[in-house]
Amino acid sequence: MESDDDNLEFYDNSDYEEEEHDYGSDSDTGNYSSVSDEDESNVNHYEVAASKLLYYYKWNVSQLHDQWFADEHKVRDEVCLPSAVVPFSTTEESIKCGICFDVLPREEFYPVVCGHPYCKTCWRGYITTSINDGPGCLSLRCPEPSCRVAVCRDLIDDLGTEVEREKYHRYYLRAYVEESRKIKWCPMPGCENAVELELGNNTFDVTCLCFGSFCWNCGEDAHRPVNCETVSKWVLKNSSEAENTKWILANSKPCPMCKRNIEKNKGCMHMVCSPPCKYQFCWLCLGDWKKHSKETGGFYACNIYRDKKEKGLLDEEESIREMARSSLNKYAHYYERWTANQKSREKAIEDFKALDTGILVNLRNKTNETEGQLKFIAEAWEQIIECRRVLKWTYAYGYYLPEDEHVKKQLFEYLQGQAEAQLEKLHNCTEKELKSFLEKDDEDFRNIRAKLVGLTAVTQSYFTKLVAYFETQKL
Amino acid sequence: MANSNLPRRIIKETQRLLSEPAPGISASPSEENMRYFNVMVLGPSQSPYEGGVFKLELFLPEEYPMAPPKLGRICLDILKDKWSPALQIRTVLLSIQALLSAPNPDDPLSENVAKHWKSNEVEAVETAKEWTRLYATGA
Repeated sequence: MESDDDNLEFYDNSDYEEEEHDYGSDSDTGNYSSVSDEDESNVNHYEVAASKLLYYYKWNVSQLHDQWFADEHKVRDEVCLPSAVVPFSTTEESIKCGICFDVLPREEFYPVVCGHPYCKTCWRGYITTSINDGPGCLSLRCPEPSCRVAVCRDLIDDLGTEVEREKYHRYYLRAYVEESRKIKWCPMPGCENAVELELGNNTFDVTCLCFGSFCWNCGEDAHRPVNCETVSKWVLKNSSEAENTKWILANSKPCPMCKRNIEKNKGCMHMVCSPPCKYQFCWLCLGDWKKHSKETGGFYACNIYRDKKEKGLLDEEESIREMARSSLNKYAHYYERWTANQKSREKAIEDFKALDTGILVNLRNKTNETEGQLKFIAEAWEQIIECRRVLKWTYAYGYYLPEDEHVKKQLFEYLQGQAEAQLEKLHNCTEKELKSFLEKDDEDFRNIRAKLVGLTAVTQSYFTKLVAYFETQKL
Repeated sequence: MANSNLPRRIIKETQRLLSEPAPGISASPSEENMRYFNVMVLGPSQSPYEGGVFKLELFLPEEYPMAPPKLGRICLDILKDKWSPALQIRTVLLSIQALLSAPNPDDPLSENVAKHWKSNEVEAVETAKEWTRLYATGA
């Protein structure tokens, strides 16, 4: 990111007006200005051409500046933005359209700088097809194959339908956002905002107006203090089919006869495979049930298995199963807590959004406090939302903490436990105590306010330290 | 019927294709569907396809000329992203004829043929001549 700073700053200082001015200061654009005498129309022409140039230069204003002033003709050639307007080749009142081949009155033709004669109907068909084809319409050119003159925004504005104009402008916006290294689309489902990164802030976590927060770097949900690498491993793990395979391995065995996987969820060791197989076997030793009797320690206490286990003769498959079971349990432990915090956070966001129409109205009525005086409630919720996020990610972190680093693990679990307890207190107070205040008559609102403000501050300071600790200690 | 509201452009193109056909190219619309053309391209002289007659089917979709004509599986840029409504059936067929004079083994339909062409052009040209004689002379 740092290497781009110069670039981005430049980008920041520049604006559209500057562009227009640059364009206008050029001595060789006499033809452009002769298109119309009115200043307003000129500005429009410059603006249209400037937006084309910016598109081709991917909004890299400094590069465009340099090259434009170094060799304007070269830039114009590259972008196919001629400075001279070519009139239609004939002076006749009727012209033949190069697409529909109809001979039509002059005013039916749309004048373009290259002078190739196409009637408005055909131009419309041409831009409609191109806009419906996708963002390629932004680099549309004159239909004449030997001519590469760029079709600019003004033509679409003049001839396109409202829907097409809108689409075209959205493609422009999309190109602008997607080319910019400082702006990204918010990845939250259903959100159409773009987010601009403020430089100099030492974090990659950004929050959109939609309340979604994501990591600028990897695009996943914001995950400070856990690094992108751990997050990507964890996300992959959560979605991976590998976990299914592991589950099958841990909780099922293949029928010794037909080899279909069987899950045993309860009951005795006497298994009967489902039809058509119907094979009867012992779950423990996978031997034929008919061979089970008093000699094997009784039908319902197969000691064959126990014997093997005691002697350490469990076959390879069985030990894999054993390992898979314990690793699956570990994963389940962390995943459960990770999702629980995630869900809790989503619920908190809902509660937060409903504040203005719900509890805040009731509180204002009951306490006569002003909106500003009740701000501390929203602040408490914001704190909860942020802490749930941090806490959630500590579980992904915990999962990958090496088993043999006992001290680290112990310290981590202690810190996590403390953080969790602190957050529960705050969440409980914000959720329940305000409600019970509304239901009762004998409580002093000042007490509740003091408690909640205090809890918010303590929780905030605790989590800030926790995050900082994680990040500096590389725990 | 599809023929009843045939755009004037298609009618004009058809008329010109019939009255002043391009050398070595014939294109005539089918009687049932004026958007469907039977095309014959003669193998260009001094190419391995010389003496051959290559039959093609060309179809003008509803969107024509905004969309290109459909012409089997020929790798030709003007039939794809380089199509422009200012091009015509005639220009497309001339391009195909040119392709026979200068095959482009970097954008082939058949990977094997292209490999052969690139590794041993003399032999590949012989094969092309042989196949032209076998399959494209109507003999």
